[in-house]
Amino acid sequence: MSDMPSGKPLVTDTNSSILDRAATAAAHATPEPLAKKVRGLSDRMVAWIFIAPTILLLLAINIFPLIWAIQLSFTNYRANRPNADIKNIGLQNYSRILGDADTWIAMQATAHFVFWTIALQTLIGFTLAYLIDRKFRGHAFWTTVILVPMMLSPAVVGNFWRFLYQPQIGLFTYIISFFTGIPPTEIEMLSNVSLAPWSIIIVDTWMWTPYVMLICLAGLRSIPDYIYEAAEVDRASPWRQFWSITLPMALPFIMLAVLFRGIENFKMFDMVNLLTGGGPGSTTEVASITLKREAFEKWRTGYSSAFAIILFVAVFGLANIYVKVLNKVKNR
Amino acid sequence: MSNQSIVKRKSNWPVFLRRGLLENIAIALIGLGFLMLFQPFALVLYTYSFITMLVGTVMFIIVSKFPE
Amino acid sequence: MSATAHSVVEPSKVSRRIAGSVVVVYALVSMIPLFWILATSFKTPPDSISYPPKVIFTPSIEGYCNLFTTRTRQTAEYIASLPPAETFCDETTRKRNMVIAGQSNFLPRFVNSLIIAFGSTFCAVFLGTLAAYGFSRFKVPLADDLLFFILSTRMMPPIAVAIPIYLMYRELGLSDTALGMILLYTAVNVSLAVWLLKGFIDEIPREYEEAAMIDGYTRMQSFFKVVLPQATTGIAATAIFCLIFAWNEYAFASLLTSGTAQTAPPFIPTIIGEGGQDWPAVAAGTTVFLVPILVFTILLRKQLLRGITFGAVRK
Repeated sequence: MSDMPSGKPLVTDTNSSILDRAATAAAHATPEPLAKKVRGLSDRMVAWIFIAPTILLLLAINIFPLIWAIQLSFTNYRANRPNADIKNIGLQNYSRILGDADTWIAMQATAHFVFWTIALQTLIGFTLAYLIDRKFRGHAFWTTVILVPMMLSPAVVGNFWRFLYQPQIGLFTYIISFFTGIPPTEIEMLSNVSLAPWSIIIVDTWMWTPYVMLICLAGLRSIPDYIYEAAEVDRASPWRQFWSITLPMALPFIMLAVLFRGIENFKMFDMVNLLTGGGPGSTTEVASITLKREAFEKWRTGYSSAFAIILFVAVFGLANIYVKVLNKVKNR
Repeated sequence: MSNQSIVKRKSNWPVFLRRGLLENIAIALIGLGFLMLFQPFALVLYTYSFITMLVGTVMFIIVSKFPE
Repeated sequence: MSATAHSVVEPSKVSRRIAGSVVVVYALVSMIPLFWILATSFKTPPDSISYPPKVIFTPSIEGYCNLFTTRTRQTAEYIASLPPAETFCDETTRKRNMVIAGQSNFLPRFVNSLIIAFGSTFCAVFLGTLAAYGFSRFKVPLADDLLFFILSTRMMPPIAVAIPIYLMYRELGLSDTALGMILLYTAVNVSLAVWLLKGFIDEIPREYEEAAMIDGYTRMQSFFKVVLPQATTGIAATAIFCLIFAWNEYAFASLLTSGTAQTAPPFIPTIIGEGGQDWPAVAAGTTVFLVPILVFTILLRKQLLRGITFGAVRK
């Protein structure tokens, strides 16, 4: 038997020699209690040596702070006064947040944002995926072009949208006024109370529609041709085929995209913080902006920790469902 | 092989405690919690949204250990 | 798929053409903001704020000059008394009655971004590869729960995590340090790395390692000499995903760094000129910042789907 290829051979190279080896292994036909007979560390040891560092890092950087936050959420601690007495105030922070009409209204800004972004992105994203699935000439190229916005930094690009939204000089306002005839000085996307919530929805939709599209496309491509062929034999109309084959078969994928965008937009911070900063007033104050104001501007650390825990539980609940759908899609 | 063990365990569990149904209830609770958090109609619903989501999430984690 | 398609499921020529044109129109419209970033970065400040917005203009690199320098206003007499301008940037600055006073903070912030992004990517991929192999090949007790725990850490709202992290880093002296940011981004990225790489390693047949171990390799040796070379593509794709995340991240960076370790995303929005935001300079900074990502996106286009579904959908 020859030695293993040393150093770092080309992948294909390794492939062939490894395949030979696999064949030899098969010929030996006694790899039953293999793992136990192997020299060196036992598999159990190796497994733990490999996994432990990751778990430890996550415990230190994620779980320990989380537990700390839970503990702080029962106190009146303020991070800008580290020497003041920390009083345990029980569930008061929670009852104040959940009984407060202002926070409730802030939550509705989040709801408005999450609802409309998901609705628009799913609609546009699915339509695009459906069209790309027609496989016109050059569809691979144009798909890549469409995907570009979602890879960019929401903060840096969101910041530039502020320029596009400027009344008069902004390109977006100019285009809108060109088509509608409204004077460009009157289109104040970022400072008008009724337009500002839509300004963040537009940017988010622009950025993340490609995400929904990509997953929907995978869903459409996972539908085997023979199902359509069978439907064709049964003379099902294209309309019926869409509602009884395409949509139900792609549904888990759509759910996957919707859930993930839901989680992401529920905790949206960077783009909104740069575009409107929660303003004008608090019309675009989504949950994360409220949290940032409480924690890093008013320094009500205990109170904001409680708010953080509330958001965390909400996201954690959705994440559970997300992973369930993820496994469903994986087994397709 | 895992199939067998599940079948074995299945017999010990009453129908209403099986995973599928309970998991769906948990998901419904989480969803309901979200609706309560987001709705603009009554402050009371908002107040109890957190506890609903918490119950749903904890329930989901527990029942996902139950056999099919 | 198109090769195996049958006539009944093949869309008609007309429907294809309509579909194609709608998609192309969408793609072009969605490119307008990016085109505008590029165009603005080559405008002079007066051109950038003209009405109507100028599509045709004489290009200038003033935006890039302003991005990399700081300037002070001087009297015309003082500027006239200076020796002749050496660089183009000197010249344009003087035309606006200003002189270059020094380097701006953009370059150091950009370097911070590079250090933090590459540092955290290396750590995340290193840890992720080990853990992914562990989960892929061994029966780990509670594997599903551990994997969910790993993924759920990525889903946490960044601001919620930032509050205790801020306190913790303040105690440990890690606030506003590159090390602190690298640790944090590693923790966020390692979850993606584990999930993605587990998918890639699952695809490498176990027989390869078993064969190697029959030949007398230890588990470790077979991991390094058999599995790693096979997983190169997967590791590269994962690394690029981690890199893009760390490169783009804003929430943690804006809350936990303020000076020495600040990265580019929180810095770019703060670029201001005289009388408000200096949009050509902002656009120039944005362009410089986005170009690497564009390149990576093109490199990654076949793996994107995998990346955004944590390895679940493989096409």
